[in-house]
Amino acid sequence: MKFGHYTKAAALVVGASLVLAGCAASAPAENTGNTEAPRGGTLTIGAVQDVASWDPGQAHVGHLLQPYQAPYDTLILREPDGKLSPMLATEWEYNEDSTALTVDLRTDVTFSDGAEFNAEAVKANLEHFKGANGRQAAQLSSLESVEVVDADTVTINLAEPDPSFTYFLSQAAGFMGSPESLGTEEIKQTPVGSGPYVIDPAGTTPGSQYTFTAREDYWNPDLQKFDKIVFKVLTDATARLNALISGQVDITLLDQRNVAQAEGAGKELSANQADWTGLFLLDRDGKLNPALGDVRVRQAINFAIDRETMLEEIQLGRGTATTQVFGPKSGAYVDELDEEYPYDPKKAKALLKEAGYESGLEITLPVFTGIEAQSAMLVQQFADVGITLKLETIPPANLQSELVSGKYAMVYFFQMQADPWVNIKGIIGEAAFYNAFKTTTPELEELIEAVRFGGEDSAELAQEVNKYVVENAWFAPIYRLDQLVLIDPTKITSTPTSQQAVPSIYNIAPAK
Amino acid sequence: MVTFVSRRLASGVVMLVAISFLTYTLLFFSGTNIARNILGDLATEEQIALKEAELGLDQPLFARFFGWAGSAITGDLGRSWFGSETVAQALTNRLPVTLTLMIVSIVLVAIVATLLGMAAAVKRGWIDRTVQVAAVIGDAIPGFVLAIILVSIFAIQLGWFPAISSIGPGVGADAWIASMTLPVIAIVINYVTSSAQQIRSAVLKQLERDYVRTLRSRGIGEREILFKHVLRSAAPAGLTVLSLQFVGLLGGVVILEQIFALPGMGALAVNATTIGDIPIVMGVVLYTVVIVIIVNLVVDIVNGWLNPKVRVS
Repeated sequence: MKFGHYTKAAALVVGASLVLAGCAASAPAENTGNTEAPRGGTLTIGAVQDVASWDPGQAHVGHLLQPYQAPYDTLILREPDGKLSPMLATEWEYNEDSTALTVDLRTDVTFSDGAEFNAEAVKANLEHFKGANGRQAAQLSSLESVEVVDADTVTINLAEPDPSFTYFLSQAAGFMGSPESLGTEEIKQTPVGSGPYVIDPAGTTPGSQYTFTAREDYWNPDLQKFDKIVFKVLTDATARLNALISGQVDITLLDQRNVAQAEGAGKELSANQADWTGLFLLDRDGKLNPALGDVRVRQAINFAIDRETMLEEIQLGRGTATTQVFGPKSGAYVDELDEEYPYDPKKAKALLKEAGYESGLEITLPVFTGIEAQSAMLVQQFADVGITLKLETIPPANLQSELVSGKYAMVYFFQMQADPWVNIKGIIGEAAFYNAFKTTTPELEELIEAVRFGGEDSAELAQEVNKYVVENAWFAPIYRLDQLVLIDPTKITSTPTSQQAVPSIYNIAPAK
Repeated sequence: MVTFVSRRLASGVVMLVAISFLTYTLLFFSGTNIARNILGDLATEEQIALKEAELGLDQPLFARFFGWAGSAITGDLGRSWFGSETVAQALTNRLPVTLTLMIVSIVLVAIVATLLGMAAAVKRGWIDRTVQVAAVIGDAIPGFVLAIILVSIFAIQLGWFPAISSIGPGVGADAWIASMTLPVIAIVINYVTSSAQQIRSAVLKQLERDYVRTLRSRGIGEREILFKHVLRSAAPAGLTVLSLQFVGLLGGVVILEQIFALPGMGALAVNATTIGDIPIVMGVVLYTVVIVIIVNLVVDIVNGWLNPKVRVS
């Protein structure tokens, strides 16, 4: 009942917003005089989610990377194009079998409580992160031990090669807090790191607003673009739109229906792509629905989907149609794979006939709030080729677990296009959470092992995994979504960070 | 009066225990995968098991409930599973915002509705018709639609008020007033007409009574009859509506707090429910039930004071 209520509410909000779009499109705010200052001023970010705890052991990714980046440096810095660069670590190198990573550290860095950053601090942080069992604990699943070699060198031993390990060190697992503070009560509310900013308790209300001020004597002033950063937690999309248009925030994430209104008010889109959406054809062995065990049926499903139309109608064109689950900047991406399954209902029918389903076929699709339009279009398109989609509503409480519970042969979902190895571990590998029926083949296992032991070449080797799952139609991806980050161009500039929902704070700067 | 109040309090406590247990049970059966929700898709089974043990999710329902209730009695509502605050901190930080919004709104609703309702009953004519039509419209338009219209005009177009709340630590009264104005107006417009309608009917009913004719025949002024006698007799009906509206507002402010980004309990409750933060949800439920009990008690006492018959029954 609650959900129906919200759906109605959402529909009304959208309707009212459209009606009001005309009158709200007033003149953009005057340039507030940041003309000659490339540094300084205040950056106000409209954050989608609240920070659960400032303990770096509880650090989170996605929308929550930004707030942790204010008080904490990571060992490795991730550039906008995804390249990993030095930050607190100056150099890092794997041993021959990729099970030990030796990291050289900066020697001129201190934490905001005065403690020195060194090899012991790295050891303390990595062990704390693993032990804290926080929201991204999985990032250090492969960590076995940390050895202090000397004051500015550590060797990190892994239980097995983990091609995404260095990527994780540029993310949640890489945030370094002052050793004394780790695991204390205080750090949950007051972060103590070596980062570019320090929290200002006077301007902070948990759950609502967090204020940070630039730290004096920060080791890398280039990363400190502002005097002050304020995070306003705005979970409601209408609130974010209003805050942006009225100038109360400088940058925030909107949904596709609000973008036109924001652009009309002089705001600028700074989009990149992080997520894809589409069907997971989970029952590849045909345990639940024998038809899906036939590769021709799975391919037919892929040919049956009119991706361009769905993108245009549902996403208002803000995205890119695709048939692969790896992102363009991931290294595992193969251009031609997007041509593998063009919209071709005739071919879909032919394949179904070949597989013996000429007289039709029924598949159950679980649906949940937010995918009503998608499921309606899929029902239509599937019907055109002779597949009956039976929709079954599932409650939102444990959506993800419900989807992979083994009750459904095929599900619709949204997924991050992350680092190739993260993708493989998350949705393709035999143990992957989204591999609900734990399907695999010796051929695929071999390709995955090659990536695991691939070292420097692992991303490229993941192209083979990509080819395998596309050719065998493990999924029916529909499109990649644009992350609709909107900024006030009179106040700031922003460079999107690849495969990240929001740009790193280092890539946001005052407008010239 | 003492027995009356203590009887009411006792039934309040029973209600509190019953609702806590029911809510806990419902959450228990809906939130089975909370550890997975916290740790994400890539978490291993060991990590999930560890987290479940840490949160006590491996305990049976009764053990968990009595553990929670035992601490709650001593005033310890636990700590948010996702947040940095204790439940008590989280609620104490947000309660002032929600209560200010609700109390200011309901007081304004009471005053305006009483004046409108009485005017409609006494003068009849166009005022009466307007109030009746407005009651239907006011009921039909949801508060958040009004809120969005108000924001578009007065915050974005005219810039008189902030589009989202600027309430934070250490801000002055002016920030509170500026941030509260639009949401309060939205609530008042939404609620005033239906209570004015109730007061109108109650006053009309009293005006037809014999005592009014008697008072008039004794030459007592119309104004005194209205405000001293009729209003006192019509008040219980109005109070009941207002108390119901106040309780309804506890749910109604949820969406308003989201739209205006007010750091109140409603926004907290929505987020906690969405992510399955049971300690926070339980805290919100507990506080809400206590507020409802207090409001009902106060209304009963005021009614008893206005009309001694209520106390006896």
